[in-house]
Amino acid sequence: MDPIRKDEFDSEACGSKAPKSKPCPRPKPGEAAGGCSFDGAQITLLPIMDAAHLVHGPIACAGNSWESRGTLSSGPSLSQYGFATDLNDSDIIFGGEKKLKESIDYIAGRFAPPAIFVYSTCVTALIGEDMDAVCKEAGDRLGIPVIPVNSPGFVGSKNLGNRLAGDALLQYVIGTGEPEPELPPGVNLIGEYNIAGEMWDIEKLMNSAGIAVTSRITGDARYKEITWAHRAKVNMVVCSRALLGLAKEMESRYGIPYFEGSFYGAKETTYSLRQMAYLMNDRDMERRVDRLTEREESRLIQDLRPYRKILKGKKAVLYTGGVKSWSVISALKELGVQVVGVGTNKSTEDDVRRIADRVGDDTEYIPEGGATRILKTVRERKADIMIAGGRNMYVAMKEQIPFIDINQERHKAYAGYEGLLRLAKELTYSLANPIWKLAASPAPWDKEVPYDR
Amino acid sequence: MTVNRRNKPASVNPIKIGQSLGAVLALQGCYRAMPLIHGSQGCSAFPKALLTRHFREPIAVQTSALQEMDVIFDANRNLEEALNIVLSKHRPDIIGIIGTELTDVAGVDYATMLKSYKRERNMRGGLAFSVVLPDFRGSLESGFSATVEAMIDEMIQQVGHRGSRTVNTRQITLLPGSFLTPADVMELKEMISAFGFEVIAVPDISTSLSGHLLTGFSPLTRGGVPLDSMLQSLQSGLTIAVGASMERPARRLHNALGTPYKVFSGAMGLKASDEMLHFLHQISGEPVPLRYCWQRENLLDSMLDAHFQFAGMSVVSALEPDHLYSISAWLEELGVEQKALIASYETPVVAGMEREVWIGDMDDAEVLGKGADLWISNSHGIAGAQRVGAAFMPAGFPVWNELGAYMSVSVGYRGAMEWSNKAGNLLMQREAKHRESSVRHR
Ligand code: SF4
Repeated sequence: MDPIRKDEFDSEACGSKAPKSKPCPRPKPGEAAGGCSFDGAQITLLPIMDAAHLVHGPIACAGNSWESRGTLSSGPSLSQYGFATDLNDSDIIFGGEKKLKESIDYIAGRFAPPAIFVYSTCVTALIGEDMDAVCKEAGDRLGIPVIPVNSPGFVGSKNLGNRLAGDALLQYVIGTGEPEPELPPGVNLIGEYNIAGEMWDIEKLMNSAGIAVTSRITGDARYKEITWAHRAKVNMVVCSRALLGLAKEMESRYGIPYFEGSFYGAKETTYSLRQMAYLMNDRDMERRVDRLTEREESRLIQDLRPYRKILKGKKAVLYTGGVKSWSVISALKELGVQVVGVGTNKSTEDDVRRIADRVGDDTEYIPEGGATRILKTVRERKADIMIAGGRNMYVAMKEQIPFIDINQERHKAYAGYEGLLRLAKELTYSLANPIWKLAASPAPWDKEVPYDR
Repeated sequence: MTVNRRNKPASVNPIKIGQSLGAVLALQGCYRAMPLIHGSQGCSAFPKALLTRHFREPIAVQTSALQEMDVIFDANRNLEEALNIVLSKHRPDIIGIIGTELTDVAGVDYATMLKSYKRERNMRGGLAFSVVLPDFRGSLESGFSATVEAMIDEMIQQVGHRGSRTVNTRQITLLPGSFLTPADVMELKEMISAFGFEVIAVPDISTSLSGHLLTGFSPLTRGGVPLDSMLQSLQSGLTIAVGASMERPARRLHNALGTPYKVFSGAMGLKASDEMLHFLHQISGEPVPLRYCWQRENLLDSMLDAHFQFAGMSVVSALEPDHLYSISAWLEELGVEQKALIASYETPVVAGMEREVWIGDMDDAEVLGKGADLWISNSHGIAGAQRVGAAFMPAGFPVWNELGAYMSVSVGYRGAMEWSNKAGNLLMQREAKHRESSVRHR
């Protein structure tokens, strides 16, 4: 069996700090945290909302994970269905290819999706199922794209899964369709998954500056729009290290320039919009962007005033898994919140440099090591609030530390100017909640004051 | 009576949950424990995320973090490394090694490896056991009960067989099934101890996943039954198992130690509660405490008040097998039509039910439950219930659309009352909504 993971390619793509010649550090048994590559592939592709996503394997990979991601849809919901081949003992022994084929036929017949993504999992990869062949045969027969996503969990990290999903898009989807003629040339948003509806806020901004979105790769996307992604004028990689390879490949294949940007914080948002207009090479558009960003920024400054007063000088520990740390730091800085500790476990050297540009010298870097390590930083640095993923939310609650969820399960959109205001509000609510005082004070009978009769 | 399956190749919106998640859940009910999933990262990350989402508590779990080449060459090297780290860093009292489909298909023998590991390290004082739980069999329920069984086995091995066992007839071991909430387990413990018994629940999620506040964070489980109590439970004069899936671990205790056991397949509704209290009354010789007599009256009165609400209503339920059995018995008492009953997988108890049971998924619930007024399932059923037009009642695992779901009581008279009211209220709200929309649309 050929290893799926080729060491040379994932060194940068998985977002590791390791030297270029080595792959990402292997997860440490007994100390590992975080999802598998299969998870990562789904994070990237599930936001293609009208497609069917079929998981080929025993039940747990799908059964434990469907409906767990906060990516929203403005219409179709087929991608929220959990499809699984749900292999049993005898399927494992005799092979699951027949069941896979039947499942694809069944889904195509009953739900008529524009495309079906089929995910391999550890077991189907291990027993050497020829998924590519089954998908190809089924696709030809049914007349719809059936796309194999070879990203079984055991090949590596979530980030690697993101990247493998990107590879599948490059190989099977992008360039297979043409946009409707009335669609103006525009920008592809890559790696913005519309968590909590963030994409919508971004699009609103882009629309008011007259910038069109060509394809969403893949927040709230439709299958068709990704097929014509190669017709975009610009690619923006939205703080997603893992999909940088996709942008690079599109640059060399189709000559589309790309830039990396973020929408967390007013500064980054303004920069990103400007960059789009600049790369579109459109003077009018640039002027429109300038007017828009000026207006939005000055309004934001007004709106933020009361919150900034409260937030100024507050200290936060940020643990996002590293990928978007730098952009969140910018956002926090604009609110006057000081980041005293930051996770860098999945950051690349680039990311770390960007982080270093944005934080003070005494900020502590948390390279790895789970909840205990984060808590230690919170305590030692006397942080007021912890900003991290949902996995650590209840860890913070146990220690009675105010908390804000920044990862994919969250329900609040923090992108763009409005998002920053929302973040300011959330931070304020969280810090000001009466629960912290109530929980910290003992029951009356535990206070050692003698009863005065 | 009959067990059916709809004829379709793929699972669409599964109810089924990996067995290993059941194992992780069981171990959360043991103090200072660490479940160690022998598989790839995702196999521990998904259960951790899902359990966290349901219980709103940190969940203790670790992984041997297998990667492609480890699986092919030497998976146990990873396990050994994981054991070393977990032991030296956290010093757990209990370690449960959970084999996954991956180790199963690759044919990894970790049981022997664990044995020699224990011998070499001279591991004493703790409890380390392994259990084989590939995901292509069973579901959460079977993973949970198999883990309890393996744990009990290991305890018996350690201390049990030494012939002279002092039996404490005033002590009862409670084996609560996987479908019971922390509050349910607490309620059962209270019921049993109300008759003068000492109760040791194995496992005991009522003291670990019940949202107690001031314990601080630990990578190990924080509450749950401590190891010494667990070992002491081997001296119990009786085992009470709640949920048919818990009969096997109960039988283990019986076979090895001769401890008699009693299985309550159902735990919900008037009859099930009657049966349990009557049994406790008989074995203890104590009168049924007054508060339960009151609760019984309360329940009957509330059922009387609510029966208008249930008249002519139909329900679809999609749950794990034991839970389905339990809830179906309660629904029977409400006099509603049970339109469709769907279990995640087949067990003897659902096969033996008087009603027709389907083995399937949420999609089957949607198709078979068309026209139902009430939909009972885990939170994955929300969309389906909406499409069917039924009121949605969360039950089982995972529930994420309701705060405090893990503290809801379903057992005993109190639980039946709470659930009857809840179901009635949901139907009432649905009716009101319908009325409103019919007015608006005229
Ligand atoms: S690690 Fe493999 S088996 Fe486990 S959830 Fe991920 S894909 Fe599935």
